[in-house]
This record gives sequence, C-alpha cells and structure tokens, in this order.
Amino acid sequence: MSGPVFMNFPITTTSHSLSEYRARGGYAALAQALREMTPAQVGAQAKASGLQGRGGAGFQTGLKWEFVSKEAPVVYLCCNIDEGEPGTFKDRWILEHSPHQLLEGMLFASYALRVRHAFAYIRGEFDLPLRRLEGALAEARAAGIVGENILGSGFSCDIVVHRGAGAYVCGEESSLINSLEGKKGFPRNKPPFPAVRGLYQRPTVVNNVETLATVPWIMANGAAPYAALGARKTPGTRLFGVSGHVASPGLFEKPTGYPLAQLIYQDAGGVLGGRKLKAVIPGGSSTPILKAAEIEGVTLDQESMGKAGSMVGSGAVIVIAEGTCMVRLLQVLSRFYAHESCGQCTPCREGTDWMNRILERIVAGKGSAADLATLTRLPTGIMGNTVCALGDAASMPVVSFIKKFGDEFAYYVAHGRSLHDGRLAP
Amino acid sequence: MSTTTLKVTIDQREIEARPGETVLQAARRYGIDIPHFCYHDKLSITGSSRICLVKVNNLPKLQPACNLAVAPDMVVETGNEQVKRAREDVLQFILVNHPVDCGICDKAGECRLQDYQHQYGPAQSISRDPKQHKRKLHELGPRIVLDNERCILCSRCVRFTREISKSDALGIVERGNHSYVEAQTPGQFNDPYSDNVIELCPTGALLSREFMYKCRVWFLQPVRSVCTGCARGCSIKSWRRMNVRQQHMPGAAAGNLAYRTTVFENSAINGPWLCNKGYDQHTWMARARIAQPLIAGKPASVGDALAATGRLLAAAKNPAVLVSTHASNEELDVLQSLLGGVPAYPHRDCVPVEGEVIEDNLLIRADKNPNRRGVVERFGEKPFDTAAGHDLVVVWGEVSGPLPFDGVDWIHLTPFGTPTASPAAIVLPISNTYERHGTFTNFEGKLNVFEPVLEKPAQVQHAADVFRSLAS
Repeated sequence: MSGPVFMNFPITTTSHSLSEYRARGGYAALAQALREMTPAQVGAQAKASGLQGRGGAGFQTGLKWEFVSKEAPVVYLCCNIDEGEPGTFKDRWILEHSPHQLLEGMLFASYALRVRHAFAYIRGEFDLPLRRLEGALAEARAAGIVGENILGSGFSCDIVVHRGAGAYVCGEESSLINSLEGKKGFPRNKPPFPAVRGLYQRPTVVNNVETLATVPWIMANGAAPYAALGARKTPGTRLFGVSGHVASPGLFEKPTGYPLAQLIYQDAGGVLGGRKLKAVIPGGSSTPILKAAEIEGVTLDQESMGKAGSMVGSGAVIVIAEGTCMVRLLQVLSRFYAHESCGQCTPCREGTDWMNRILERIVAGKGSAADLATLTRLPTGIMGNTVCALGDAASMPVVSFIKKFGDEFAYYVAHGRSLHDGRLAP
Repeated sequence: MSTTTLKVTIDQREIEARPGETVLQAARRYGIDIPHFCYHDKLSITGSSRICLVKVNNLPKLQPACNLAVAPDMVVETGNEQVKRAREDVLQFILVNHPVDCGICDKAGECRLQDYQHQYGPAQSISRDPKQHKRKLHELGPRIVLDNERCILCSRCVRFTREISKSDALGIVERGNHSYVEAQTPGQFNDPYSDNVIELCPTGALLSREFMYKCRVWFLQPVRSVCTGCARGCSIKSWRRMNVRQQHMPGAAAGNLAYRTTVFENSAINGPWLCNKGYDQHTWMARARIAQPLIAGKPASVGDALAATGRLLAAAKNPAVLVSTHASNEELDVLQSLLGGVPAYPHRDCVPVEGEVIEDNLLIRADKNPNRRGVVERFGEKPFDTAAGHDLVVVWGEVSGPLPFDGVDWIHLTPFGTPTASPAAIVLPISNTYERHGTFTNFEGKLNVFEPVLEKPAQVQHAADVFRSLAS
C-alpha cells in the first residue's frame, strides 16, 4: 500500500495521533498558510490544482468554493462523512488512519471560505472512525489547532461533529444539511443550491472527506505538482476500494487514469479462485455495470469511464465473477434503494419499492415477461423526475443490468429459476 | 414591490409574470392549469409530488413548476410529450398502491387525485402487482380519521400544523414507502384548527368523522354563509341537499338539513382557514329550539303572542331593548328605524363554552358573537342601565349567561333554547342565521354577507317582521 497523498506512512497503533501526524509534516503547511496566504490565495491554489469532488459527482472543488458569495457574513462548511454508497470504504480509512489530515483540510477550506463553524457529519454506523475523529479533534483543540486563534494566526474556527442516524440519503448534501438542522433527512429542491442557501439558510459548502483530506497535500506541495499527477483533465490520486470476487480486496491509492484491469488483476490479485471476470460495477452500486469485455483499456478517470458508459463515482470497484446470478444481484441492490428511499417525492418512493417487489417476484420464480417489461419501463419514469439523485441511483443499475444481461433475466422469468445454480463457475 | 413584469412564454403564449412569482402561479393567473398536489398558496413549498413537472428552456430535465421562479425570457411547456409522460408516470406511481375505492370514499367528487387521473392519467395501469395494504380508518384525533392507503404523502397537513396552526401536531414517521402521517401523540390530534387538513388533503386520506358516509358531495350544494362562532365572522360554505334531490330523501326533514361546513376562501377576513368551531357551524345551528311562541310558558299562536307583546309594550312606562349581537345589520336597521326613543343596549348572546379556545393569534376572537360591532355602531356600547328603572325588557337573542336585570318582566325573541331555559313572559321564536340573508360587521369593521341555507319553520318569525308588526 503506497501513494503520495494518503498512503504515505506505515500504519501503526499510534500513526493516527497528532504527534505522529506532525512528525510527518502535518499542520506545517497550515501554519505557514495562515501566516502568509490570504483566503483568496488558498482558494485559488485549490482551484489551480484541478481537484475534483471525490464523493461521486466529481464537481470541481475550487469552483464550488468560488460560488460562495464573498460578501456573505456567515458561511458554513460541512464535511460529508456519510459514506454510504455500497462498496465504498475510503473515507473510513482516512478517518481511522489519518484523521488529522481531514481536520487540516477542513481548516484550509474554512480559511479559504472564511468559515467560523465547520461541521463534520458522520454516519451513524461508523464507530472507530467516530472515536478516531473525536480523539483527533480533542488533540487538535488542546494543541490550539482548532478553536480560537488557530496557531496564533488570529483565525478562529470550530469543528463540530454531528452523528447521523443511519440514512443513506443523508449523504446527499441538502438532506445532510436538513439532518444537521435537526430535521428529517429529506433532500431539498435545487435551486437554491447550498452555496447560495444551505445550512441555516446561509451559504454552505459540503465536501467529501477525501476531497478535503487532499487539500493539505496541495497546499504543502503546490497546485502544479498535484495537477501533474494522474490523468490530465481530472488530476490527482484517488482511493479505490476494490471489493467483491477478488483475491485480495482492499483500498488502493492510485493516480487517476490508472487502468481498471490492472487494479483488478494486479493490485487486487485478480478474480477470486482464478475464475473468469463477469462484470464490474466501477464506482459504487449506483453506477452502470460494465461487462468483462467492456473494461478493456478503460482507465480510472471520468473521461475514459464516461466513454465506456459508466462513472468513476465514489471509486468503489465491485468485481463480479463468472457464475454470479445477475438477477439476484440486482435484487440485492434494488432492495437497498427501496429501503433507503426517503419517501419524500413520489417517483422514488413508489418506484424503488415497485421495482424491488417486481424483482422479488422474479427471484421467487413467479415473474413473467410482462414484469420484465414493467421493470424496463419504470426507471424512465423515475430518472430525472425526482428531488435528488437517489431516484437516478436506484434506476441506473436496473437499466444497465437488464440492458447487458437481458438474457439472464429472460431465462429467469421463462424458467422460474436462475441461469446459474448459485455456485461460482469453475 | 417592483412594478416591472417579466416576459415569459408558457405554451407559446407570451405572458407578463411578476418578479418572484413561480411558474405555477404565473400560469394560473393566465388560466393555464398545471396540476399540483403538494403545492398550496399559503404553505411552504416542498416540490415532492412531482406532478407539476414542466419543460423549461428545453433543458433535458423537467423542472417542478411550483418551485421554479420565473426568469426573463423563460420558455415553458406544460403539455408536451415529455411532460405528459411524466405526469402519467407520477399518477401511475401514486396509484400503484392506492386502493382506488372512490365508490366508498367521501372525497370522491372533489378529489384532486380523481380529477387529475381523469384529466392526465394513463388509461390503464401497467401494474400487475397486488396492492400493498396499509392502516385504514386510523384515528388521528377525536375528529379526524386517516386512511393510509389513500395518502399520497404530500405533507400538506403536516406543513399546516407546523406553519399555520403552529401546533406541530402532525408528522411523517418512518421512511420511504413505509412512511405515514401520525399525530405527535397518537390519537391526540387536538389542534383547534384540525379540520382544515381535511380540506387541504388532495385525496380522501383525511376524513371528518362527523361527515363520514353521510352524503355524496355531488348531492350537496354550497351556500355562502358566515360563521357565528366569534367576532371574526369567517366566510363559510354551508352545504345543503340540492333541491332536485330532496324528494328522494327519506323523511321530510332531511331535505332541509345542512350536512357540513367548509371554508369559503376570503382573503379579507379568514383566508383559506377556519377553526373547528367554524367547521361545526351546521351542528351548532341544529341545536334545540323553541318550535312555537309561548305566553307564560304555554304554547300560543304567532298572532296571539304578537298581540300580547303589543299589549305589554303599550302598558310599559319605561321599556328597553337588549339588542342581539347575532342579528344582521339589516335587522338592526329595521329596529333602529322603529325604536322611537326606547333605550337599546348590546346583548351578549353567546359566551364561551367550557373547553373552548378563548382567543389566539390566527382567527379565534374572545367575543363569541359575530355582529357586536354592528350593534355598537348603531346603539352604542353602553351596558344595560340597571338604575334606569326599566319595567319591561325585550331581550333579542339567546340567553347564555345571567341577565343584567332581575324581577322585571321580559319578552324573549330567541332562535334557540328550550321553554324551561327561557322563563320570559312571552317567548317569540325567531329565525337563525341559516334562515335569512344579511350582513355582519366583524370586529375589524369588515362587512361579510350570508345567504339563507335552509327554510325556516312555519311558527318561527324573522325578527325584523316581529318589529314591524309590533310597530304597526
């Protein structure tokens, strides 16, 4: 495990502590920037690095910061630690092993945006990450790094940790804001975007953990070296979590533009038991699936992945071996989205549940060709018509699975059982 | 407020929109109907029903018209294929688990979902799934039941209790397709404005226990009336049987009956809201009344009672009148023109009943009489003068508290009451607000008009007629 931005130190029982983070050079860039740089310069450097949001949508971070009005009296920053996309476990690694890196990134962002109170919204299921984050925060507060007059610079910023209550939809920025405000985690209609009216009706920036934790490296090493890493249009390194039917699943820091096949076959040790690869879900469960043949030459950046018809998303690569029943797999995904739909808007609330019930029926061997037709039809009524992207996220797998593995679905409804007997093919 | 307008094109029609307005509001002013469930003029916008999606500026994604502010040179399409398809899909989604039991639903006939399904919905559902069953006839509170199968989770009722009545009495619990509306304390939805949510509900999910299964709404017709519950004098619709149907009703009285009360939207006085006492106006008007004139407690004919009253008045040396604060301005004018120097004082017909909300910041006023202002404007607000030595008092209006005099002969003109509760020398039953037309002046000085809802019984006189015959 190695990489320039995150995986640049050996993990020990104390490697997450403040003293070791400082020994690795942590907070030095912050101290220097607070003394020598203006907030606008910090923002400009983040923009020049070409850093993109790592939560899934891949929006330019510097640009997101720029949308916040310079005249706004109060601005909030929220760090989105509601890592809930199935297959994703990168933010967890950062919190468990390098929580100070995130805090430093949050302070950089707060300085650039003139934020007095920043919030860390952590998902309710995270236990060790929460303890590590709170421990790091206590250390940083005691050392004068968080709070009043940070490192004697005159800049003050408090970081507040808020624990979510276990809703996938709260990873969506506006429902995260609602949840922070103590309301039900319902996404808001956009516009207005959070950068205009967010938390407590103030301009708010919501950034992913990995995005913010990358900022200290950019500030320490400069925007140009970061922009030189990885693919030209979407530079940097990313944490890719490989899971599923692979020999050695895990988290790998790779520059963008890294070949997907190499990540699976070399870094993750290839498909489990030397089996054939059937398909890959390349960026978290809501991204369209790619067949084995389609990953040839695909690299892990938006451009290449977009051409292949999918997305890098949250960098969660789910590997599926030959012999897996795609109908059952889709039903598992579909059950997740039906369970996690917040129930605010009609198409998603009714649609995700409807799709799930149809899939349940198909898997139970009671499906029909008409069910398959309905299943193909329903996503078209959901996608684009909902308040947030959960409706799209729930629909994309259904569309891509049926498109690419239609024969398996047809076999299942025709014979009332799976084309595969449940064991992985030899 | 800026007076400039924006040019917006909706369905190839150029319209002048006001800045800050939403597409839905602008379109409605020009008679272009964009269907909506969750949107309501007086409530915050959630944009959750998604039936109001429209095509804007040829963007690939449809936008909710309820939440979209107009912008200069915006081009909106409300009826192209994509929009029609999205509406069909939304209705399809809403109806996938809706029981479609319009045949036994009180809302049928005035149901938004029913209307939109007929106007915009697909001819046939593509669903072949069995309906998901949910809790039916759930008691939200003493007045309201909830049918979760019919609920489309538009959250109008929830937003009403949060933003208008401020009781926070309702909320949506659980998540996704399992979510449902529940009272904060289950079964205790006791908001004094709770009945508004029945009307707000775009489907038949929230039902009045009082009106439940009483009558199909298309057999009823609304009559504009005024609530007599307090000095606010809210505009209401009183619903009576349509005349053509009366002959089919069992029992003679059924035709001459008010079945329910709903709000008559009146932005000058009550807006689109009404308190529960207002929603109970028809039951309040159906209280016990004296059917026939009484002389010394004995039933008498109208002619005899009027003659006896005339004799008493002629014999009186110093009579006085307590003037009803439930009387219309027109009746007050008649009395004023015939009074000829007899002193008149405002009467307090109704006092708060036990458990009633006395006053709040929304509608309810402490004075429980609708036309005190009209009486005061004509006769002054001096209370009954006990020192003036009146030897006969004409009490016009109900008596619900102690009378301001003692040991004096009195004549009672009353729309309600029982013979034992009215120990006057002569009792003359008079018509109530449901049986005449007129105007009230509310506490703010605003006039509000009411029309007759029902026919008055034969032995009951209009108060104005009583005064006229006494004067002649």
